[in-house]
Amino acid sequence: MLNIVFFSALVLYFLCSVCQFVASALKKDKFGKIAFAIFLIAFLLHTGYLIARGIIAKRLPMSNQFEFATTFAWGISLLLIILRKKYDAEWITVVAMPAAALILSYAALQPMEIKELMPALRSVWFGFHIGSAAIAYSAFIIAGGASLRYLLLARKNAPDNAVKLNQMDYLSYRLIALGFLFLTITILVGAIWAEQAWSSFWTWDPKEVWALITWIVYAVYLHLHLRKKNQKMLAWFAIIAVPVVLFTFVGVNSLMPGMHSYG
Amino acid sequence: MKKLYSFFKSMRFGLILLVLIAICSVIGSIIPQDKEVSWYVQNYQDLHGVILLCKAHRIFQSWYFIVLLALLSLNLLLCTVTRLRMLLSTRSSPDPATYSRDEAHLTETGMSILHEHMKKMHCRESRYGDAVIYKKNSFGRYGTFITHLSILLTVIFGAAALYLPTTIDQTCVPGEAITMEDGTKIAVDSFHIENESGDLDYASKVTVTLPNGKQSDLTEVSVNHPLSFGEYKIYQQTYGTAGSVTVRNTDTDGVDTLTLTDQCFLSIDGNNGMWYEAIYPGYIQEEDETITLITSTTGRYEDPVYQVLLSSDGVNTPVLAFPGEKLTVYNMEFTFNDPVEYPGLRIKHTPKLINALLIAVFVLMIIGLYITFFLQPVLVKVDDTGYAVGGPKPDGMRIELLALLENEQVEEENDEC
Repeated sequence: MLNIVFFSALVLYFLCSVCQFVASALKKDKFGKIAFAIFLIAFLLHTGYLIARGIIAKRLPMSNQFEFATTFAWGISLLLIILRKKYDAEWITVVAMPAAALILSYAALQPMEIKELMPALRSVWFGFHIGSAAIAYSAFIIAGGASLRYLLLARKNAPDNAVKLNQMDYLSYRLIALGFLFLTITILVGAIWAEQAWSSFWTWDPKEVWALITWIVYAVYLHLHLRKKNQKMLAWFAIIAVPVVLFTFVGVNSLMPGMHSYG
Repeated sequence: MKKLYSFFKSMRFGLILLVLIAICSVIGSIIPQDKEVSWYVQNYQDLHGVILLCKAHRIFQSWYFIVLLALLSLNLLLCTVTRLRMLLSTRSSPDPATYSRDEAHLTETGMSILHEHMKKMHCRESRYGDAVIYKKNSFGRYGTFITHLSILLTVIFGAAALYLPTTIDQTCVPGEAITMEDGTKIAVDSFHIENESGDLDYASKVTVTLPNGKQSDLTEVSVNHPLSFGEYKIYQQTYGTAGSVTVRNTDTDGVDTLTLTDQCFLSIDGNNGMWYEAIYPGYIQEEDETITLITSTTGRYEDPVYQVLLSSDGVNTPVLAFPGEKLTVYNMEFTFNDPVEYPGLRIKHTPKLINALLIAVFVLMIIGLYITFFLQPVLVKVDDTGYAVGGPKPDGMRIELLALLENEQVEEENDEC
């Protein structure tokens, strides 16, 4: 039953992505509204799945690659809903819906069985550390998507687009600032947890190192944004930074065994 | 000299350092760190010379990485001082006359929307001549100062927390104690691998006695729950299983129970006795009655088996013994007991203050970042001719107001149509 809910959400995410793509390509608002309605149903199923899994497992569903990817995709969807409401930025759906669908697809490829939480993960810091990482990664992914959209719009060179381009650049900056704050929380909470579990705040474990690299990449972005010289270059920067985030999330666990190899 | 000072405090220098630290970190994550030199020779046949020469195998301890961190600290220090000077020399609210004025003229509706929006944002309202000034988040100007200061302190206290503590790993059989160099005693009362419900939960019950006689309560130490007492912190790190044998001298009837963690020879005369080899968690008995020992050592020892060698008159006889079994060699009777589980503890001696300071600057950093990004000062002047946005970072507010007024303008045009 639980798997049916999960795969229904996944299928609906793909369906709403296709609808949204059609809406954008044909400039049909109706398709856009249908896409968002399907997306909301998918999000409800997704939320229900996570709650049910958490109740069955008697813990937060974030302990392995499958659970983290599922939470990560949920974070993207939640941010999309908040952004649409707060900034009335409908265009954000074009990038966020497929992103949620793809991350959830990655989750579907991972072992899905519910396992007992290993002693090393039984800590009050567990939820803060992994939850904040999920928010940070979600914000970075949507910021990358917003920047991609920025570049596509900037190619048209229409003078009417200036305000919209500024909005996109600013939204991308705000999302990266949000992601940066939460990535900092992830790293600092992780350091406190590491001191309690392994006796040292920092061990240069590959996951720690790549979290630091991601932090540096976005710190550089935020500093460059202060100069306001070249918005296009910043948009490229935000897009190129996304693979770094994905490598920190997926690549490190698969290619670099270390103390974070729980999944 | 002035040029050098400007360069050291510049953002450009800081960014160069961050990029170099990131590059070193990538190298450090690709090349496995802190292995024996022979490992690199074996695994990087063509590159090992370069790796060893550049110290890429210990990159995070290399001199150039430490220099990069030191330079970053210098850059952060100068940056923090500059920001502090700026904060002290400028007023919290800049003169409204200096606000930028690149926004469009406002219609009456636009004006009322703007006033309403600023009130909705809970801005403080004041008058400046004919204009209305809206202010919010004046404290936001301290954000970048707090952030840079906290990052600098994190690097300093972080280095202290990494390099000042002394750490040792030590096993200890329950009932025994570890004595540290300063006389502190760490006694292990008991240890278990599984909790009452049968779940894996490695935990030791430990007391610490300081040289001044001060003693901690009997405290359970488990993964994620170290015991902190005085300047010591005790961590549950690993575990092991030892054999336990009761030896009785049949002549004198003297009895002693021994815990066997390593291979040893138990004898009275030095010639005859028992060699203890190992203890195994279980065994499989085949149909032809041969026994295959299980060597996997995860979790509890369900069917423990002792592997021993009985030595009598120069003849060695290999024997498998089970708990409860008795073996006799000359005047010695060996009774095999259930195995004893014992913990491997990590004992860290660290100044408590460093940890507390480091955690305090972590909190400061999060507060600093929050203020920097989410409590940016809002300064808006509205008069008959339009509005102007001021403050150190006016872009966000400017974009927000432009979007607000553009939307309202579109709605207004639609209504007119």
